[in-house]
Amino acid sequence: MLSFVFRKLLMLIPTLLGITLVTFTLVHLIPGDPVAIMAGERGISAERHAQVMAELGLDRPLWEQYLSFLGNLAQGDLGHSLISSNPVLDEFLSLFPATLELGFCAMLLAVSLGIPLGVIAGIKRGSIIDHTVMGTSLTGYSMPIFWWGLLLIIFFSGILGWTPVSGRLSSNYWIETPTGFMLIDTLLSGEPGAFTDALRHLILPTIVLATIPLAVIARMTRSSILEVLGEDYIRTARAKGLSPWRIIAIHALRNAMIPVTTVIGLQIGLLFSGAILTETIFSWPGIGKWLIDAVGRRDYPSLQGGILLIALIVMVVNLIVDLLYGLINPRIRNSR
Amino acid sequence: MALLDIEQLSVSFDTDEGTFPAVSDLSLTLEEGEVLGIVGESGSGKSVTMLAMMGLLPFNARVEASRFHFAGQDMQTLNDRARRRLTGNDIAMIFQEPSTSLNPSFTIGFQLLEAIKAHEGGSRRQRRERGIELLDQVGIPAPGKRLNDYPHQLSGGMNQRVMIAMAIACNPRLLIADEPTTALDVTIQAQILDLLLRLQQERGMGMILITHDMGVVAGAAKRVAVMYAGQLMETGASHDVFREPAHPYTGALLNALPERHPGTARLPTIPGVVPGINDRPQGCLFHPRCAHARQDCRASRPALKAVHAETGLGTRHVRCYHPLNEEVLEIAP
Ligand SMILES: Nc1ncnc2c1ncn2[C@@H]1O[C@H](COP(=O)(O)OP(=O)(O)OP(=O)(O)O)[C@@H](O)[C@H]1O
Ligand code: SF4
Ligand SMILES: [Mg+2]
Repeated sequence: MLSFVFRKLLMLIPTLLGITLVTFTLVHLIPGDPVAIMAGERGISAERHAQVMAELGLDRPLWEQYLSFLGNLAQGDLGHSLISSNPVLDEFLSLFPATLELGFCAMLLAVSLGIPLGVIAGIKRGSIIDHTVMGTSLTGYSMPIFWWGLLLIIFFSGILGWTPVSGRLSSNYWIETPTGFMLIDTLLSGEPGAFTDALRHLILPTIVLATIPLAVIARMTRSSILEVLGEDYIRTARAKGLSPWRIIAIHALRNAMIPVTTVIGLQIGLLFSGAILTETIFSWPGIGKWLIDAVGRRDYPSLQGGILLIALIVMVVNLIVDLLYGLINPRIRNSR
Repeated sequence: MALLDIEQLSVSFDTDEGTFPAVSDLSLTLEEGEVLGIVGESGSGKSVTMLAMMGLLPFNARVEASRFHFAGQDMQTLNDRARRRLTGNDIAMIFQEPSTSLNPSFTIGFQLLEAIKAHEGGSRRQRRERGIELLDQVGIPAPGKRLNDYPHQLSGGMNQRVMIAMAIACNPRLLIADEPTTALDVTIQAQILDLLLRLQQERGMGMILITHDMGVVAGAAKRVAVMYAGQLMETGASHDVFREPAHPYTGALLNALPERHPGTARLPTIPGVVPGINDRPQGCLFHPRCAHARQDCRASRPALKAVHAETGLGTRHVRCYHPLNEEVLEIAP
């Protein structure tokens, strides 16, 4: 088991190296350069431009820049942001809790709603409930996130005025953020009303980010439950005279969850791309919005470092899912 | 009073191609402690009949019967809950594929003990002791340790023993064994069969044993029923049926047994296959394959008729216009 984890961790290294090469290339393929963009409308003289580029080390050949990036990386240094000149890692870590909080809530919603809906649709196959759940999830799956987010904002924030439009907390609250997770920090602050305010800010982004994983999880759970219900061991469970509830909740669900776990793991990876759009729509100060800003400003180190860190997180999450997989599937557990 | 009394059972499936009558007009009785063998080729409706009795058919099945009594109870009037109280308790079933019939995600112990818990309750410790005792009875070595094993850690034969332990856990009065040895190694088959018959004897359970093996039926069951294309073709004491088969299908099945042809390399086989959903013939269902078919066989379907039974073991019935050994079979009035 430990050697399994170790082997998997070792396998991450070449993958991560590949990712650095791809991101480095892609990032430098974006037309324009950070200095020209910083100068903006006013423009900048050619000599001054060359001088600043040299100061930033951007005049060197690309392969040399890549090698020095790798060299720093090997010492755990992701470089500094070209804009703020803060260490990339610090910026990432300070913004990550916001994304994590949003992602966690979205996944929680997707899983806690998607699995029961999928199960009900599966056991009531062909019923109105089934058609409703499947139809809705297909719609949710094919909905463009940006449009969906705006629709929700217009309706709930604009027309009904129930939810705030953007940010994590209204500006009339000023609280310490020791954990970076707004729901926890507002609770710790003891400030009356702050927690509800944070919660209300979280609702719409959570729904938007959860939509696609929710749809995927519900559909996967349904097909998985349907498949499992046709298995011989379900017939055995019925032959024992067990209640239908027990057969589904215990005998069927445990097995049906095996493929669903894999899908959940994959959705966690995809969550980051969803977060980029969602955070942009709702001005959510997290990694997604930060990366979009970094693209806009050609902040090469932030982009390279940020994407690398996200890749690392996604891979570690998938490794954890793999291990969980063994936990619910004894056949795999014993073969490791 | 018979333990099991079924009259005119029919099962049909709603499929994309229409309604398929998998079993029709099937009547059978079983006395307490009796063993009934059911034989017939693949697709003849043996499993469907048993699953209908257990209430385990999928939702596209329609089951009808003019009478379905178990131990004096009219099963057709029971609600789902009352039915479940009998299933796994008074009537139990074991299946052909032990390895897929056990849930791969739960231990043997969990699956065995939940059957006891569902019907008999008792404390955790009592159930565990009972589980160990049951595994011991079905010949599983080190039963205490095996309780914590998963099905994939045991062989097919061991898994079938677990299935048997599960089936007898609540002391059923009727045990249905649907080809319990077909999926196992030849060397294990006899062991499992011996175990089943021993348990049946010790406990005085009624048992329905489905098998392809005529030899097994002859040795184990006093009475036999021969099924073909969803119908009973012949029933009677196995002694009578095997010595002097009346139905041409029974005759053909027996003629295909290796022990009837010592020294020959090729066995006679019955040409053709059991008709499926779209090729059920007019008249006698067996006529396209029957060596004795005549004009009347193609015209109408024969009914099950009582014929003279030599041994005193119940009546003998044949569904055929021109039974074999007609001269010795004095048609009963
Ligand atoms: N769920 C179902 N839907 C449609 N047809 C079915 C279904 N289950 C069984 N059948 C059909 O019913 C017929 C009888 O099948 P059954 O399994 O009872 O045969 P069997 O005698 O048990 O054969 P075997 O010896 O192979 O086990 C077959 O033609 C089969 O295709
Ligand atoms: S009725 Fe005719 S076709 Fe059918 S089994 Fe008897 S002899 Fe053969
Ligand atoms: Mg069968």
